[in-house]
Amino acid sequence: MHSGILQAINGVSFAALLFLLASGFTLSFGLMRVVNMAHGAYYLFGGYIGLTITRYTGSFALGVLGGGLAVIPLGYLIDRFLISRTGENHLAQVLLTVGIAFVLGDVALKIWGGDNLKVPTPIELRGAIELPGGIIYPTYRFVLILFGIVVGVSLWLLYRKTQIGAVVRAGVDDREIVSATGINIDRLFVLVSALASFLAGIAGVVGGAFLTLYPGAEWEILIYALVVVIFGGLGSLEGAMIGALIVGLLDAYGRWLLPEFSYFVLFGPMAILLLFRPRGIFGREG
Amino acid sequence: MRRYRVILALTALAAALIVPLVAGQFWMTLITQIYIYGLLALSVDLLLGHAGLYSLCQASFFAVAAYTTAILEVRYGYPTLVAAPAGLVAGTLLAVLYGCAVRTRGVYFILITIALGYIIWGAVYRWASFTGGDNGITNVPPPSVAGVSIASQTTYYYFVLGVVILCAFGYRILIRSPFGLSLRGIKGSESRMQSLGYRTTMHLYAAFVISGAIASLAGVLYVYYNRFINPVAASFQISVEVSLMAIVGGSGTIVGPFIGAGIFLGLRNWVSSFFEMHTAVMGIVFIATVLWAPSGIAGFIGRWRGDGAKTKDRP
Repeated sequence: MHSGILQAINGVSFAALLFLLASGFTLSFGLMRVVNMAHGAYYLFGGYIGLTITRYTGSFALGVLGGGLAVIPLGYLIDRFLISRTGENHLAQVLLTVGIAFVLGDVALKIWGGDNLKVPTPIELRGAIELPGGIIYPTYRFVLILFGIVVGVSLWLLYRKTQIGAVVRAGVDDREIVSATGINIDRLFVLVSALASFLAGIAGVVGGAFLTLYPGAEWEILIYALVVVIFGGLGSLEGAMIGALIVGLLDAYGRWLLPEFSYFVLFGPMAILLLFRPRGIFGREG
Repeated sequence: MRRYRVILALTALAAALIVPLVAGQFWMTLITQIYIYGLLALSVDLLLGHAGLYSLCQASFFAVAAYTTAILEVRYGYPTLVAAPAGLVAGTLLAVLYGCAVRTRGVYFILITIALGYIIWGAVYRWASFTGGDNGITNVPPPSVAGVSIASQTTYYYFVLGVVILCAFGYRILIRSPFGLSLRGIKGSESRMQSLGYRTTMHLYAAFVISGAIASLAGVLYVYYNRFINPVAASFQISVEVSLMAIVGGSGTIVGPFIGAGIFLGLRNWVSSFFEMHTAVMGIVFIATVLWAPSGIAGFIGRWRGDGAKTKDRP
């Protein structure tokens, strides 16, 4: 029972990380119809840059911010000069962005080497805290859950309650009509793409502090993010939240109860869901 | 035009036949690998070039077939005549199961096949007690039929060449059949085919299973060629690489995937011999193909040869 609760918290903290990555992925698909397989590479680059900043300045907060900001121009250049040339051909997008991820991964390997690197966390976050019920839990992962909730709520408010959010939602529904009403849709694309890159970079730093960073980490985290958006439905922010929780919990319990089959525990329900709802929980028909 | 093609095909066949006589071990091994990956790329192209489906889980069928054969050979000591067909059946059965993915189209199909592919990768990687985990399965014996072992690389080269040629002929019959025609019809316009009374989903399902069977055959050939198998064979990277091979060589043709495999593997072998960052170079090949040669080398040559081929398509 005790470790059951512990696994639940583990699952939720992993879900918080997955949400950071998947929300950007799902929004850029929803608005721009872009499948960006380089999203995992943004995570890795953000993580490595954040690591370097943290090492030099000694400030984890600066590392998180810097890692997120550094990926924005990278994401912008890739969007503007490469992905935009594929139109709506999703296979071309997948192959192109996989190629970009290969290049970025190899460059990261050249710069930061092949060892597992851990982003140093500040001393205040290093210990463990006691939760009600006598559960000892690492402070860092607990703070990660809070951070995930804060980001999730802010994104949701931005998406549902502000004018920018309303325009983005309208863009997800029908791009042509939005631009016909005189809104500069390209500027909107830049904004959402910057947000997506920023969140992926941040995810890299906060994830790198407990999952460590290594060559290949970009693919491992990307596939989790993909499953999140498949569960939740492409293009849906709420779907990314629910999907992240489902995937985080399935992964934690799967690793705990059936370590050799943890991938089945994750992908099996996904395959069954797809049989009945090919577009995920919040995906719309059309 | 037709006579040129026959002459070209016979020249290619003659060249393929004399490779072991004139080329060294290195080239023969590389060319065997090209045949096997070409076959895998051909399986991708049945879906990509004819049915218009972008499957990114072909490595799963390849790996399941290879692992089944390897496990039966190494761990249970079954002869090749049992292990090889069992591998083929196992990979094909997986395709029967995964074929459910054809319920979806477009980007959903792409994402779902990526995720399905990761199930197999996860299984062979994590289920270490059965699959050997990261180390995989080593010491797969050379194939032997009725007490005769095909241990020499030259013999295996000819064996793979024979299988590939047989497959190419079978594939040619398949894509020229009414079934192949209806697949291309679905690629052109699925709703029109539906309104003509075709059960398009069943057609795509059948194409998916056949494609899985071809990929499984490539997997069985691969495990006897490589003599060991590890989770890399099931990875997403293999699946994207073979789709790139199909596109580079020219999607919708039979020789295209083999040409693509040759270009891709040849380039990687060459680059990795002197440049450390060969993954980045392959990444640039991906980017360059998508941006500048989306219809591949064959399409590029076809364009260069003139308008003759183009105007012929027009009614």
